Amino acid sequence: MSRSVTSLASRQAATLAEVAAAHPDVPRLIVLKTDVQRRGVFYTDRALSVLDPKIHSITGTHIFGTRDGKIAPRPESLLLRDGTSIIITPTALEEDPYVVDLVDGQPFLFDGGHPLEAVDYWPAPAYYGKVSRSGVLMKNIVSARPQRLVVNPSRTCTFWNNGKGCGFCDIVPQTKKGTKELNIPVTLDPVEVAEVVAEALREPARFSALFLTAGSNVNGAAPFDDEVETYVRVLREIGKLFRTKKFPSQLMATAFSEAQLRRIYDETGVMSYTADIEVLDEVLFSQHCPGKAEWVGYQEWKHRLVHAVNIFGPGRVNTGIVAGIELAPPYGFATEDEALSRILDEAEDLARQGVSTVYIVWSPRPGSVLGKQRNPASLDYLIRLAKGLHALRVEYRLPIMFDDYRHCGNHPDTDLSRLLNFD
Amino acid sequence: MPPQLSPELLEILAHPATQKVIATLDEDGSPRAVPSPFLHARPDGLLVHFELLETSVTNRNLLRSLWFDRKLAVTLVGAEGQTFVIKAVPAKAEISGSAFGRAFETVRSVLGDADLAAVWLLRPHAIVDETYTTRKRDEEERHPFSIHLDRLLVPRDQATSDWTKP
Repeated sequence: MSRSVTSLASRQAATLAEVAAAHPDVPRLIVLKTDVQRRGVFYTDRALSVLDPKIHSITGTHIFGTRDGKIAPRPESLLLRDGTSIIITPTALEEDPYVVDLVDGQPFLFDGGHPLEAVDYWPAPAYYGKVSRSGVLMKNIVSARPQRLVVNPSRTCTFWNNGKGCGFCDIVPQTKKGTKELNIPVTLDPVEVAEVVAEALREPARFSALFLTAGSNVNGAAPFDDEVETYVRVLREIGKLFRTKKFPSQLMATAFSEAQLRRIYDETGVMSYTADIEVLDEVLFSQHCPGKAEWVGYQEWKHRLVHAVNIFGPGRVNTGIVAGIELAPPYGFATEDEALSRILDEAEDLARQGVSTVYIVWSPRPGSVLGKQRNPASLDYLIRLAKGLHALRVEYRLPIMFDDYRHCGNHPDTDLSRLLNFD
Repeated sequence: MPPQLSPELLEILAHPATQKVIATLDEDGSPRAVPSPFLHARPDGLLVHFELLETSVTNRNLLRSLWFDRKLAVTLVGAEGQTFVIKAVPAKAEISGSAFGRAFETVRSVLGDADLAAVWLLRPHAIVDETYTTRKRDEEERHPFSIHLDRLLVPRDQATSDWTKP
């Protein structure tokens, strides 16, 4: 059904239109979304003039930083007309990003001066302007996507203590900035979190999922017991709000042991589990994720994901990869074909055991070890990767609704899975 | 230039007794027509369809139409038999924001404990009057060769014996 942009040189240089034409089975909107994530966006002053904090979500609440390294009032992210989000970071103009400007008052994505597609800024939820019992803006305790509440119980990661944070991650520098500039708490009080969630849910139909994630914490009687304890305490407080034991939710965390996962599942209402392996290659995993390699290891990480399926059920466990770091010099694969083959083989190994793989587009941030690099992945490669991961879900009948456009919005491959029909 | 929804059509659309059906195309090209009880028009001429179920085939079909430029049709049948088919394309799926919240409350005010997956905005590109009386008159004027001859006979009580036409 599809062709590919053939030579490596032509792949790297292929335009949006050329890549879309080469993949007619992929919606142009998803090709565009992927390229916008790849290249980033720059907002013109005119685009920012219609930004209204009372109506729109503003950057600053995210656990990770922006590509241009600034904390400034800009749209948190964008919505396309198919309901899909483009989760992006503002990018300096010198890096050739897409530009957001206005057409008749409507924000539009531009490339090369040409308007491509209308976009909406993410709407701000009603609770964003309110203040919590401890005097913190509620949005700095629980943030929001168009349909998801996001709780970051701890905005730090102990892998950084001995310099073994993931190479693409800027959680610790971003936390320092956010704490200083926005008064974002590093750790949260579970009772206060539940109060903010309760306030957020007063708004009808605004949220269909609750999402928790934090940095890894190796401390405890067994490694990561303290991290588990944090999630359990927060989830149990939130769980008191609901009349059902389980509620639509996703925990994105370290790859825990079977006993730890069993505890989380039995003691809380969480319904799905994600443990990001970041890169599906053992050598690159050790190089880019030295903390994860030291405390868990690549094979054990995969092993724990598979065990999680026994606890959470098929279609409720996945892992995330950061698309592009597998190509980053000096350790990365020499060719995109080689990278794609390796990643999809590993993803298939997980898929046949009930674990989905999803990707985000690597957006090098200045506070990370790899922050000075640019993502070398071509748009054609990213589209082929999205198609490959989606095809595995089709083949192994893995629904991905807990991490789809409504509940996350950051994965081009799960956008394709919106048409999955397992009825 | 998209067609304007006439005052008569808007009146039919707003009438509670009107039957409203949305027809989309399945992946294999089969048509699928289902009721769209909340269908209405916006002031800018876009039609609004509330999709209540995220994984309904119609919701997927609408997305496929938006992604791959496939057409859909809306049929309205008024209380007095007025019938209109509106051909359209999906323009947008709203899943969040104030309009979505209001739509959710509308759905729940009618159905009780119901949910809302998406508010679909549909852009009409053609409107066809399929009202039987209108179509019958048009058919007979423009396509007289399809009329059954017995319908054209002089009624028996008016027929003359010598076959002389009046």
